[in-house]
Amino acid sequence: MEYTRFEIARIIGARALQISMGAPILIHVPEDLIDPLDIAMYEFKKGAIPITVKRKAQ
Amino acid sequence: MYLIVEQEDVIRIPPPLLGEDIDQVLEDLAREKIEGNVYSFPREEVKDPAERKYIIVLLLSLEKVGEGVIVPGDGAVYQKVRFKALAFHPELQEVIVGDVVDALKFGAFIRFGPIDGLLHISQIMDDVIDVDVENKRFIGKESKKVLRVKDKVVARIVALSINDANPRQSKVGLTMRQPGLGKFEWIEELAKGEKKEEGGK
Repeated sequence: MEYTRFEIARIIGARALQISMGAPILIHVPEDLIDPLDIAMYEFKKGAIPITVKRKAQ
Repeated sequence: MYLIVEQEDVIRIPPPLLGEDIDQVLEDLAREKIEGNVYSFPREEVKDPAERKYIIVLLLSLEKVGEGVIVPGDGAVYQKVRFKALAFHPELQEVIVGDVVDALKFGAFIRFGPIDGLLHISQIMDDVIDVDVENKRFIGKESKKVLRVKDKVVARIVALSINDANPRQSKVGLTMRQPGLGKFEWIEELAKGEKKEEGGK
C-alpha cells in the first residue's frame, strides 16, 4: 500500500513514541542512531514497522 | 450466585512488552485487569443498578477480536478481547452459606465466595445477645445458643452495595433471623425437634 505523507508522519510518530517508551527495536540499526525519531525513520525506510493504516472510506 | 459470563473488553499492551509472545502477554495483562474486577449487566437487561454488578473471579478463556489499535498520544497497543469468565453475582434475598471469620462488638463477618458480609448482632438470632469480644463469640441470653468464629452458617442477603473500585470494600448486610437460617447445628436441632413433635401426636 502506498502511504500519503500524513500517514507516513502518523506511522513514524507512533513508532517513535513506542521506541521512546521502551519497545524493542525490530532490525539492526547503526550505532550512532540514538534519537527514537531517527530510529523510527530508519525502520520505516527499511520497511520493518509492523503498523498498517485503516482507511475509513475505501 | 455464580455464573459464567461472556463479554468484551479492551486491554492496553505497553510498548516494552511488544517484543514478547503477544498471546502470552495479552493473557497475563487480561488476568491482571479483569480478575477481581467489577463488571455489570447491560442497562436494558437489568433495571436496578444495585442488581447489575458482578465480580469476575476467574478468567476461563480469551480470544482476540480484530487487530490492535494505536491511539494518538499513547504508544501502547489497545487490543479488543472477548472472554469467558466465572463471575460471582450476589443478589438481594439470596440465601448463602458462609463461615464466620471475625466477631466484633457490633456483629460478625461472614465470608462467602470472594467477599465478606456483615451480620449485625441484632440479626444473629431471636434472642438478646451477649457479645464476648475476647473469645470472639456471641451468646443468646435465654436460648444459650453460641456463635463462634469458624462456624458454618446459612444467611440471607438483605442489603447490597458493591464498590466498583475496590470489590473487597463492598458492603453486604446479612440476616439469620428467619426460619431455616442460622448456624448449621441450630437448623439440624430445629428439624429434629419438629420431627419429635410430629411423632408425639
